[in-house]
Formats: sequence, C-alpha cells, structure tokens
Amino acid sequence: MENDSSRIERLLERVQKAPRYTGGEMNAVHKDWDSVSFHYGFCFPDTYEVGMSHLGMKILYGLVNAQADSVCERFFMPWTDMLALMREEDIPLFSTESRRALCDFDMIGFTLQYEMSYTNILAMMDLGRVHLRSCDRERDEPIVVAGGPCAFNPEPLCDFIDAFMIGDGEEVTLEVVDAVRAWKRSGAPRAECLRALARIRGVYVPALYDVTYHEDGTVAAITPNDPAAPARVAKCVVTDLDNAYYPTEIPVPYTEIVHDRIMLEIMRGCTRGCRFCQAGMLYRPVRERSLDRLVQLAASLEKATGYEEMSLSSLSSGDYTCLAELIRALMKRLKQERVSISLPSLRLDSVLKESLEETQKERKTSLTFAPEAGTQRLRDVINKGVTEEDLIGKVTDAFQGGWSSVKLYFMIGLPTETYEDLDGIVDLARKVVACYFSVPRDKRAKGLRVTVSASSFVPKPVTPFQWEPQDTRETLLEKQAYLREKFRGVKGVTFNYHESSLSRLEACFARGDRRLGAVLLRAWEKGCMLDGWTELFKYDTWMEAFAECGLDPAWYAHRRRGKDELLPWEVIDSGVTRAFLWHEWEKAQAAITTRDCREGCNGCGLQRWKGVCSYANAGAV
Amino acid sequence: MRMLVLFEKTERLRHIGHLDIMRAMQRALRRSGVPVSYSNGFNPHMLLTFASPLSVGIIGERELMEVTLSEERTPEDFLAAMRTALPPEMPVIAAWPMPDKAPALMAAVQAAEYEITPLERADALLAALPGMLAQAEIITDRKTKSGVKPCDIRPLILSLRVEDGTMHAVLTLSEREACKPDMLLNALSAAAGIEKPCCRIVRKGLLGRDEAGELRPLEALYHA
Repeated sequence: MENDSSRIERLLERVQKAPRYTGGEMNAVHKDWDSVSFHYGFCFPDTYEVGMSHLGMKILYGLVNAQADSVCERFFMPWTDMLALMREEDIPLFSTESRRALCDFDMIGFTLQYEMSYTNILAMMDLGRVHLRSCDRERDEPIVVAGGPCAFNPEPLCDFIDAFMIGDGEEVTLEVVDAVRAWKRSGAPRAECLRALARIRGVYVPALYDVTYHEDGTVAAITPNDPAAPARVAKCVVTDLDNAYYPTEIPVPYTEIVHDRIMLEIMRGCTRGCRFCQAGMLYRPVRERSLDRLVQLAASLEKATGYEEMSLSSLSSGDYTCLAELIRALMKRLKQERVSISLPSLRLDSVLKESLEETQKERKTSLTFAPEAGTQRLRDVINKGVTEEDLIGKVTDAFQGGWSSVKLYFMIGLPTETYEDLDGIVDLARKVVACYFSVPRDKRAKGLRVTVSASSFVPKPVTPFQWEPQDTRETLLEKQAYLREKFRGVKGVTFNYHESSLSRLEACFARGDRRLGAVLLRAWEKGCMLDGWTELFKYDTWMEAFAECGLDPAWYAHRRRGKDELLPWEVIDSGVTRAFLWHEWEKAQAAITTRDCREGCNGCGLQRWKGVCSYANAGAV
Repeated sequence: MRMLVLFEKTERLRHIGHLDIMRAMQRALRRSGVPVSYSNGFNPHMLLTFASPLSVGIIGERELMEVTLSEERTPEDFLAAMRTALPPEMPVIAAWPMPDKAPALMAAVQAAEYEITPLERADALLAALPGMLAQAEIITDRKTKSGVKPCDIRPLILSLRVEDGTMHAVLTLSEREACKPDMLLNALSAAAGIEKPCCRIVRKGLLGRDEAGELRPLEALYHA
C-alpha cells in the first residue's frame, strides 16, 4: 500500500522533532519499488537519533542495498506524539525512504540491542499492520527476523519473531534474503519458509522447538519438533573482516544524532574476558581489520560522507595491535581533509601524544575510565584487569596534560560485593581528587570535576555470571543511599546512579524464557513502550503485567540458577561453552583472574571451531 | 574567489533547521572536492554564508549562499561537483562568480517573495485579508532576543494578493526589520478570529534593490 505522502507531511506540522521523520538524507538509498524483487525493512526499535548512531544498521543497510535485486529501507520507533497522531489519522508505520508501510515489505528485521526496546518492537509491528504473533501471520505478511546481541537469548521474543539470526550478520543476512525470496516465488505455505530458514547455519526458528518445564518452573528440555531444526544453533562468525562487506556510502542525517561521525570498526571481539561483559563473550573471537584496509576505508568514508570527525570503533580499541601506526597512518591520510580523529584516550603512548598535539586541535573534554569495581579483590572477581596504580597513573597523566574533568564508571551489585567494595569506590574517587591537587596549581587546568557513575549490575546470559542472582531493588537502593551519603561533602565529586527498577526488568528479560512473551504483550497492551526513556518507563504497569500473567519477576531476576539447570538460551551455541563459563564462575568466587587471550588460549570453546580464532590452541585450558 | 550559489530547500526538508542545513551544505562541499577556503584561527571554519536563514517549516525555492574558494573554478565545474554531492532534496540550481568587492549577501537582502497556502480554515482566513490590509497599522508580536515586542507590520507588507486560495506576498526582510510569514499569519488569524491554520509556505526568492531602488531578484543584482 502506498502511503499518501502529503498526509504524512501534514502530520509533521504537528509533532516535535519532525526531522526524525523527514528522511531524504545524503546517501539514503531510493530504488524504484517495482524494479527489485525483494524489499527488506530494517527496523531499529528506538528513535531515529538512537538508531542512526548504530553501526550494525549501517552495515546491513549498505549490504542489502548493494544487491541489485533487493532494496533495504529503514524504520524507526516514532516518538509518542507522532505515534498517537499516526493512530488517530490511520497512517501505518512508514519507511524513511519510500514511506511505504511496514506490512508491504517481504521481510522485516529488528536489531536487538537492549532488552528494554522489546515493547517498541510490538508497537512498530502493530503500527505497521503486521500481526504481532508469529503464529497469526498470513502468507503475504512479511517474514519477521531479528538479530543483534540480545538474540543470544531469543526466548522472550519467540512468540513474535519468525527467525533469529545469531552472530555476525554480514553473510547470513544475504542467505536469509535469498531463502525468503525463493519461498515467496514458490507459493508454498509460510511454514515452508520457516523450515528453509532453519536449515541455514546461525538461524534459530523458535516455532520449530518445543520447550518443557519442570514443576519448579525451570526448563526441562528444548527439543526440535521438525527435522529441519538443528538441536543447537551455532552462531555465525565472519572470520576475515578485511573481506567482509563494510559500507562507505552511509546515510548522513541532517539532524544531530547521538554519534554523528564516521565510525570505523577497527576490530570485532575482545580478548580481555571481563566476566560481567556479555559483548566480550558474544563477539569472540577477536578479529582485526588490517591497517591498509582501514586507511582505505577511512578515505572512502570521508569522501562519501563529508564527515569532519571519525571515531575508531570496537570493544577495546586500545588493544588493536598496531594502534599507534594506524592512528599515524589515518592522520597522515586525512590531514588535508581536516578530519579529526577521536581516539581511545586511555592508551596513548608518548609519541602518539606528540603527533596528536601537532595535528589535532586537542579538545579537553572529559576523560572516561571504567574501573567497574572499587577494590582490587572485586576487580579480580570480575576479571577487570585494571589496578589502582594503572588508574592513578593515567589520571595523573591526564591532569598534567591539561584535563580537569574525569568520569569514573562503576557497577554496584556485582557478585560477592560487600560494603567494603562500596567504600573502595569512594576511596578511589578521593584518590583521583588528590591526584588533581598533587599537580602544581600553575600546571593544571582549573575546575576539577570528577563524575562517579554507578550503574546496577545486570547478570547476562553467556557470561560467567549467568547463574548469579541480581541484587534486589531494596538492596540496590540501600547501596545507592550508602554511596550517596559517603559522597556527600567529597569536594569536586558528583555522584550519579541509575534507576534500579529499570535494571530489574532488564534482568528479567535478559535471562527470561518463552513464557515472558505473554508479559511483554500484556505490558505493551497496557501502554508500556519506549521503556528505555526514563520519563516513559512505567515500572508499576510492568509489575501488573507480570502478576496478570502469573509470573514472578523475582524468580527471573533474583534467583540463583543451579549448576545443572538447563538455561533457556542454551539452545544457542554462542561459541563459548558452559564448561568454560562455569570454570570462570568458580575462579570468580575465588577472586582468581584469567589471562588475556592474547597471552595464551583459555579454552573458551571457540577452539572447537577450526580456524575461527587466531589465538586458539586446541590443547589449552 | 567568491561563488554565489542558488539552491533549493525542498518540501521534504522544510523542518530541517537553518544550522542543520548549513552543516549539510558544509558536508556537501567537503564531499564535492571543491577547494573551499577556511578561516584562520584556532577553530577554522568554511567561508560560507547564507543570504538569509529560512525558518523551520518553510520551503525555499531560490535560496542563496556565498562560498569562498581557494582556487578558481568555473560555475559549470562547481555545479557539476555539487550535483553529485548533494541529496536530491537539496539541489543546486545555478552558480555565478562574484566580484571580490561585491557587498555581503546578508546586507543586500531587502525583501522576500512568498506563497502562503492555508491548508485548513482557508475561507475564513482569506476573508479577513481585505479588512486587515485596509487598516493604517497592523500590530502583532515580534519575537526578538530580548523577548516579545509589539510591531506594526503594515509598512512591511510590500504587496499581497490572493489567487486560487494562495496568498502571494512580498514582505520586507532585511537585517534591520522583517515581517516573517508567521507574523503575517498571526495577525491575519487574529483579525479573522480563528486559530492559526496550518499553511504550506514557500519562499519563492530573495529580493534586493537595484540602483533605481526597484526590487529585483537578489542574484540578478550580483551577476548582471
């Protein structure tokens, strides 16, 4: 159905932030609808400015549009004012490019970046006239797929998503597109499409699995109910990033977005093995793009976008093997184009600092450090390889280098945490303040600002803490109050903390099972959406939804899982084995650290897959 | 060299603010590979000025900007490079070299020509027009940096006629004083006693005064 563009234009007179909906950006891809045989709607379940900052979307958007016979258009979550008007005026969710309705596309794909965007998925499908539940969809409705980090526990979304793509999307996306296109032409019923998708490596089709439960509510078994479905779905890994697709002609928004710059992904994965970090486990193994390829990409990206700023993107850019050489090469190549490069600030060697001062206008914005925990003991528990000495050294460097503003990120509610660890946070902040005053007055910048942020720990699947209970809301509130009190009167320090009720819900869905689909649907029906936006988050409504579905959020968030319990996400083989994660959990209890993979293989499980990890050693544990 | 550039801000981009359009143009210039001059100083910026910022919500059919190039380019080469560098919603129409001593664009703007089409309550709104124009003064609010002040827009309405439900207006627009379409609409809605209707507003072009004091398209004064 073609949307009446003039009706949409009329709505835009009545909303805040109309540029969210205008489209027409440089490099946006407009293909004649009838000239291509496949229409893919890429959906980011949050607002335009959040979605447009996301690198994964740019990669997949470019990838599909690079195929002559397919088009990919973008969809975002409208803000509440626009959503209400669209309902009132009966205008379906429309794409940013052609303004076609969501239901007109052959396939729609949601990227799952964080659990608190799940209600937006329902809101977008509902507004886009796509049946919410997979089992209700007609043959001519779009195939609904999803991917991204949260797809590693797909279970809470099983009712709504036809197929999940697990892991790196560059290759599997095209396989899925081809399979759906072939099915469309075949005229076969929808179930055949799901079967075809289930046969693709890395694709999980939840309808083809039955889940049974023990009396205590834990999962008894997850069993394929169709020969097309594998017993476990192994994630996709792109082994050679140099030859993987990378977009250069990325859409350049008019309006300012969260990350409005070129993002150059220098590597994927991280070798550090922080035990709380889900990304560190999911994106294994570490893979670097070569220096030559990166310089070539940087030049093409600059030419195609006109951006004046570039950031190096990865989980831990400081670990890139030839970081100093890379930065020098990029600066040399981009100097005359006046592109400034924002750098991972923590690992600058002195040579690099000099070349920086020469070529870049150094902006002394605040420097960010993430010790995550307040004491060495707890940092060892979480395997965060930062010592107090490191931190103080770097902070002193920064203060001597003219910075006066430092941000320190911590988590509270980490496993084994005691009040001593909380005191450690305060001590560390005090030491940072002392560092500043130890620099002679005439050599330091004025206006010390130390911002301490404490987020609440959420145990995530596929981490060594996947068995751990989350602190209750009461405990977290007490800890926050304790820290707030301790920080009162510490000069120069601002203490921030996050909404604990949001973290609790995140914990439920992060490790939830299929039964949570009912809660999600109920919460959406009761008006929950855009939950990640604090001003719109309705905790009490969510609690009502749980109660109405007869499920207990505490059971999901605050329960310690048993060693032998089958976890709902274990139908996915993320590469990392349960044995490795358990071993890491045991070491955590004893505060024993694990070395960086670059120093030797720790046997996380990827060594099972030949040629995937360059640091793997089959014999190692 | 100074290059005078005529471009369009199409309907789809009418809600993009002036600063965002400026940034989009800067990025387009960077993509185009045209050698643009930068200011000296600690925070160098492109030597690029727009004749007159266009308010959010208004379509601009013939917008003008001036860019300083560090090397000579023919208008044809400049346009060819910019055409590939701009999105279809923001096309360049023409370019002319500007004499070095030509006055700054912003100072030369004297008025602008608009088409204003009410999309609702049109009859009531337009019916109030003759009565309003017959008044000796038309007082409406003008938003300034220091707050809202009353302002007589009657002398600023240089011409105004209605054709097929569309108002064709020439309104004063200079660095000193201006009647924005919104001010006209506020006054007219008040005169009609109705809530201000949603309107499609097009700025048809910017005007300057020639030696005889006659209003002429601004670009014509520069490349005559």
